[in-house]
Amino acid sequence: MIEVRGLSKHYRIAKRKQGLLGAIQGLFIRKYTSKKAVDDISFTIASGEVVGYIGSNGAGKSTTIKMLSGILTPTSGDVLVNGIVPYRERQKNAKKIGAVFGQRTQLMWDLAPRESYDLLKHIYQIPEAIYQKNLHEMTEKLQLHSLLDIPVRQLSLGQKMRCEFVAAFLHDPAVVYLDEPTIGLDVAAKSRIRSFIKQMNEEKGTTIILTTHDMQDIEELCRRIIIIDNGQILYDGDLHAVKNSFLHEHVISFELDEEKEEILIPGELEGLVTYIPEEGNSNKLTLSFHPETISAAQVIAAVLHHYRVRDVSIAEPKIESIVQEIYERGA
Amino acid sequence: MRYFQLYVCFFSARLKAMMEYRVDFLIGALSILFIQTTSILFVKIVFDHIHTLQGWTFHEVLFIYGIAATGRAIHQFFFENLWVLGSAYIRTGNFDRILLRPIPPLFHLIADRIQPDGIGQLIIGVIVLGIAIPELSMPWGGLETLILALLILSSGLIFIAVNLFFATFSFWMVDSFPIMSTTYQLSSFTNYPLTIYNKGLRFVLTWIIPYGFTSFYPAAVFVDQGGYHTVGYLTPAVAILCCMIAYFFWKRGLRSFASTGH
Ligand SMILES: Nc1ncnc2c1ncn2[C@@H]1O[C@H](COP(=O)(O)OP(=O)(O)O)[C@@H](O)[C@H]1O
Ligand SMILES: [Mg+2]
Repeated sequence: MIEVRGLSKHYRIAKRKQGLLGAIQGLFIRKYTSKKAVDDISFTIASGEVVGYIGSNGAGKSTTIKMLSGILTPTSGDVLVNGIVPYRERQKNAKKIGAVFGQRTQLMWDLAPRESYDLLKHIYQIPEAIYQKNLHEMTEKLQLHSLLDIPVRQLSLGQKMRCEFVAAFLHDPAVVYLDEPTIGLDVAAKSRIRSFIKQMNEEKGTTIILTTHDMQDIEELCRRIIIIDNGQILYDGDLHAVKNSFLHEHVISFELDEEKEEILIPGELEGLVTYIPEEGNSNKLTLSFHPETISAAQVIAAVLHHYRVRDVSIAEPKIESIVQEIYERGA
Repeated sequence: MRYFQLYVCFFSARLKAMMEYRVDFLIGALSILFIQTTSILFVKIVFDHIHTLQGWTFHEVLFIYGIAATGRAIHQFFFENLWVLGSAYIRTGNFDRILLRPIPPLFHLIADRIQPDGIGQLIIGVIVLGIAIPELSMPWGGLETLILALLILSSGLIFIAVNLFFATFSFWMVDSFPIMSTTYQLSSFTNYPLTIYNKGLRFVLTWIIPYGFTSFYPAAVFVDQGGYHTVGYLTPAVAILCCMIAYFFWKRGLRSFASTGH
């Protein structure tokens, strides 16, 4: 169904020199640096699979999805989706795929969702009977009946996203790419969307590739995950295998009383916990650990001994911590 | 045929959306009427003081003006969305959405919006032509009307091609609006006979950005004040050539976009 072999995407980024002179120079001579957003990845996804494609910000997830969906041309490597090379036959490929990009809409802002669906019917040349049937079933599943005739701009984010999912599945695509579709949604909207994805996969056999930062999305939907970091695949396989070793990991976050230049792990915890860097926070110390190796009480006691702590929170394990952990094991 | 039907679907959806903002619709159409009326009054005032402009009478200049206005209306009504390719599609990432649809991106882009200002423009153009034509010292019949329609269509295509060409730069520079609008401003020169300008400007408006073919040269087919009669007949060929160049360049831009992202 989806075959990816040795796929790479290197972006060229123009190097800008500082100042006016640099800007003028930039008009004539440009130096480029190359960013390996996706670096020699390979995988195969069978028809009907739901695969979680996870990794931290900037890992290369969206870039991969853009190549799979035909928006981007790879630098090298092969992609085959439904037997089509997406970037070569973009329109032909587009007929058989659907996509939801979180926080970006394909509905017409000023019109009711129904109008957008009607236009999609013409764009994808969906036969009237199938269109009516799908629309009916999907609005039922997502409980959208009351929203169909309200202008999209008046809908809440959660309502909009639910409408967005109908738009992505309306033409019975064989593959649907979901790039952070649940970002910013409340718990109720998330769970409704998850059960919709699950139903579409089970009833229609739709192949689904899902990127998300929400571990619960992954746990409820995916049997298989692919972890990507720095453009390379770190792990590809069964979710359960990873879950047993990582998801039962505990994460505790300490908010320190003062900003520190450098936060050190207390000596007695060395080797027993993993430090998770937090962006932008110089007063946060986040540690993950295995309950079998060390108890939460011991971790908290050790940190309190070294730092003045304002607040403690027990967080859900983050994708970042799993990626970090896999890295360290591999090394 | 399929794309004609599809365009109608897009069109009716857009019309419905527009009706949500009925007042904007009216203001848009009225402001164009106002702007155009003042610039025609300007022509009128000039001719109250002088009788001919390098041999061109008031009604002949009006005729040139009318062709330009009508041609521009075709562009404005159908292809207005080109202006926002950079700001509303590439910068925001919405162009990715267009590329996920099983229809040609250029079709999708232009079908995504209609501009009612174009109707105001069209009304003005037709009225101006209606005033000018009976005063031209030549017999006017069905054949002349047909030829004029063909020339006006070509004029519209040239406006479209030029704008498409410069909009395409957005694929490399994110938003090429400044280049587009600077170029477009050149087109206001062609509301008047090209012969009143110096050589350099005439050269640019003929060979570089062929706006001359949106009004002056087509007009010369009917009223010849300087031997451009035959050149005028080249207008459709120029239009087709311009469209081909612009479309080829657009394809090139698309390919580049696919390899750089935004
Ligand atoms: N169009 C682009 N030009 C240059 N660099 C880009 C472009 N798009 C993404 N990148 C870079 O490529 C890397 C991977 O980005 P992306 O695929 O969006 O990651 P993710 O979706 O996993 O967060 C990042 O470092 C990002 O800054
Ligand atoms: Mg992303």
